[in-house]
Amino acid sequence: MNLRKWMVLILALVMVLSVAACSPQEEAPAEEPETPAEEPAEEPAEEPAEPAEDYSSYPEKPIVVFQGFAPGGGSDALAQLTQPFLGEILDITFVNQYIPGATGAIAWTQLAKSTDPDGYTISITNTPMLQTNYIMNEDITYNITELTPIANVVTDPGLIVVGADSPFETIEDLMAAAEADPEGITVGNSGVGGDDFFSTLIFQMETGLKFILVPFEGDGPSWQAAAGGQIDASFNNLGITFPQIEAGTLRPLAIFAEERDPNIPDIPTMKELGYDIVNGSSRGYSAPAGLPQPILDELIAAFEEMGNDPEFLQAAADRALPVDIKTGDEYAEYLRGHEDIFGQIWEEVKSEYTQ
Amino acid sequence: MEYLMLGLNNVMTFMNLAAIVVGTALGLFVGAMPGLSATMAIAILLPLTFSLPTATGISMLASLYLGAMYGGSIAAILIRTPGTPAAAATVLDGYPMAQQGRAGKALGVSLFASLVGGVISSIALLTVAPVLGSVALKFGPVQLFAVAVLGITIIGSLSQGSTIKGLLSGVLGLLLALVGMDPVTGSARFTFGMINLYSGISFTVALIGLFSIPQAIRLIEKDQKVITQVNKFKDRMLPTMKEIKQIIVTVIRGSIIGIFTGIIPGTGGDTACWFSYNEAKRFSKNKANFGKGAIEGVAAAESANNAVVGGALIPTLTLGIPGSSATAVLMGSLMVHGIMPGPTLMTEYADVTYTLIWALLLANVALFFVGLLFTRLAVNVVKIPNHVLAPIIVILCVIGSFAINNSFFEVYLMLIFGLLGYLMDKIGMPTAPMVVGLILGFMLNMSLYQSLLIGRGSWMIFLQNPISAILLLVALFSVIQSTPLFGWIKKKIVASKI
Repeated sequence: MNLRKWMVLILALVMVLSVAACSPQEEAPAEEPETPAEEPAEEPAEEPAEPAEDYSSYPEKPIVVFQGFAPGGGSDALAQLTQPFLGEILDITFVNQYIPGATGAIAWTQLAKSTDPDGYTISITNTPMLQTNYIMNEDITYNITELTPIANVVTDPGLIVVGADSPFETIEDLMAAAEADPEGITVGNSGVGGDDFFSTLIFQMETGLKFILVPFEGDGPSWQAAAGGQIDASFNNLGITFPQIEAGTLRPLAIFAEERDPNIPDIPTMKELGYDIVNGSSRGYSAPAGLPQPILDELIAAFEEMGNDPEFLQAAADRALPVDIKTGDEYAEYLRGHEDIFGQIWEEVKSEYTQ
Repeated sequence: MEYLMLGLNNVMTFMNLAAIVVGTALGLFVGAMPGLSATMAIAILLPLTFSLPTATGISMLASLYLGAMYGGSIAAILIRTPGTPAAAATVLDGYPMAQQGRAGKALGVSLFASLVGGVISSIALLTVAPVLGSVALKFGPVQLFAVAVLGITIIGSLSQGSTIKGLLSGVLGLLLALVGMDPVTGSARFTFGMINLYSGISFTVALIGLFSIPQAIRLIEKDQKVITQVNKFKDRMLPTMKEIKQIIVTVIRGSIIGIFTGIIPGTGGDTACWFSYNEAKRFSKNKANFGKGAIEGVAAAESANNAVVGGALIPTLTLGIPGSSATAVLMGSLMVHGIMPGPTLMTEYADVTYTLIWALLLANVALFFVGLLFTRLAVNVVKIPNHVLAPIIVILCVIGSFAINNSFFEVYLMLIFGLLGYLMDKIGMPTAPMVVGLILGFMLNMSLYQSLLIGRGSWMIFLQNPISAILLLVALFSVIQSTPLFGWIKKKIVASKI
């Protein structure tokens, strides 16, 4: 008898606990994009005396950060790297809300369509998925004009790697092989619409060579297939493959950055070889459109202060995350520029992918 | 060797031991709750470990993984709803045992098998990991396709009663796995404009709906008769020597299957339990008992899913390749803690890595004791009246499916699967093949595409590689074995011998 009561009690407790664990902060405001205008109208009612323009006390409560991917992924790595520093500068805490699905599109749709631009809800934004999601799929309806870009934090440059046993010692070897056997060399990427997919397309356009593009579910399986010799090469990212390069499992051939990387100083950039190929995956923070200027300025100042902190730079280096701070308009310009590039490339190859 | 001792030394602090016990207990708890899988539990608790020292935090998460693998069987046996996807195969024999009043025995067998599986795989991780780790790199798209094909043949042996209905259920599962973004062209398939479907149907959502909701309805529908039988259980929990003898081969086979399924990237406990169950049945002398409360069935599934933990950590720690979805999250947590997972984990970060391995080994001990205590308490679940238990199951299902993506979309999807499961139940169509189809469907689709791209469109690529050729031959054998043709050949052979 007593035992039964206990069991029910315990079960109830477990349920309460798990609800608390599963939904940090508020309930996800579901899909009601039609009426965002009504919600802010209610807020001034609570503090009628306060003029709307006074943001000097911002931030005064925890900032919710959307992540469009599951915990433990690249976005989370960025969040855990930056938030201790940002938290100290802004003197607040961050609450991460993981909203995985549709390569980030669910989180970003929610951010763009149904989040107040009050500075207390922002999101990690990943290039190129932020743009390629809606460029490639008409069901995805947000776009970057509905966001206020705050700051980019890291850019992981793209590169080409081959397995340790590969016959290709240099980028010239690979290109010669591709020329000798058109459409015979298999190269992996992290998935259609990802940065490596676009790197490969840019590579093909610039060099006039043709590869067989093999998509994988993420960067990991792509380099693993190259390391195992199942594909000839993998278009990947430096930060992800660097431990394997150090251990000799993978051999880098060329990097898609403006300049050589100090971690792999012997590896040429494609620019040196005369091909304009610069691409990578970037991660930063954005807010919904209409973020008040004083709040944006406050946040930008915090990111710039973090970018100059040697402790932060060291922590980023330890995680092999190449820092690339771009704030405000510069970040917005960067996102727009890439939107154009990805849009043009997709326009050209679209017919091969959609029927 | 010095690393071995270093790890042992490190793990023997109060903080680490406490983390192991707490992790195991939490894992048991979470695992026992229908809807919360090990992967999800690790993901939910991950942010809590950010404030702990790296080795402590990771040890806690690994213990949790191990605990959840056993915990899943508790709900599977007692209320016919797998606590985690890895316990889905446990339902098949665990629940019939409970119905026969042998719930305690089923839980004891599950605990014993989990313990053996966990210990064998931890020892493999501690001793031969670098040798086994390289296996992971041998599994590319071509080999994964063969694994998926072999997995599909399991549907045949799960289709007891009506083969046609079983196969239909499996095919429906395969079709449902195609929903979402096409992995090769990036175009949306069967998503009907809903971006929540872009990532496909999570098989955890389907599993919760298909198994748990029909059971909740069944509990209310039926009179108390079914359950009162379970109430009367008075049997000893732990298996006797005679029973251990009966299951030990199955348990060891299951452990080895679990370790290797763990090592192969992209397959984890949810696949291993079916493989192990299938092999146990194939080699058993009394196949007819399977599905009707055979202790080998429970032992096979449970030894395999716990062995997956050590197995999946092997490539994770030796190469930086996650062996299962749960270890992928674990690897992410290493990254968040500032450790770059890669081949240097076993040397440069040996202190953390070997602490983790020892922690896993010790977590097995914790699992045994915490498991015994927890199970004794959990068995009382069957004393809860049906009209109370059923709504609790539904609530847990809602929480579990919400937790997957923190969204209500998955909750609605789960309820739709619940209705589907109920209808399937009414027409006598088994739901297990559909789950297997969903688990393997995406892998089958993706790896077939990739293999044909790599092989430039030639199907011969599957036969040119020894691993995939052998796996495909085993699959062919499995199919023939379940047709009348096999019986005919067998008869011929026996006849010719006489």
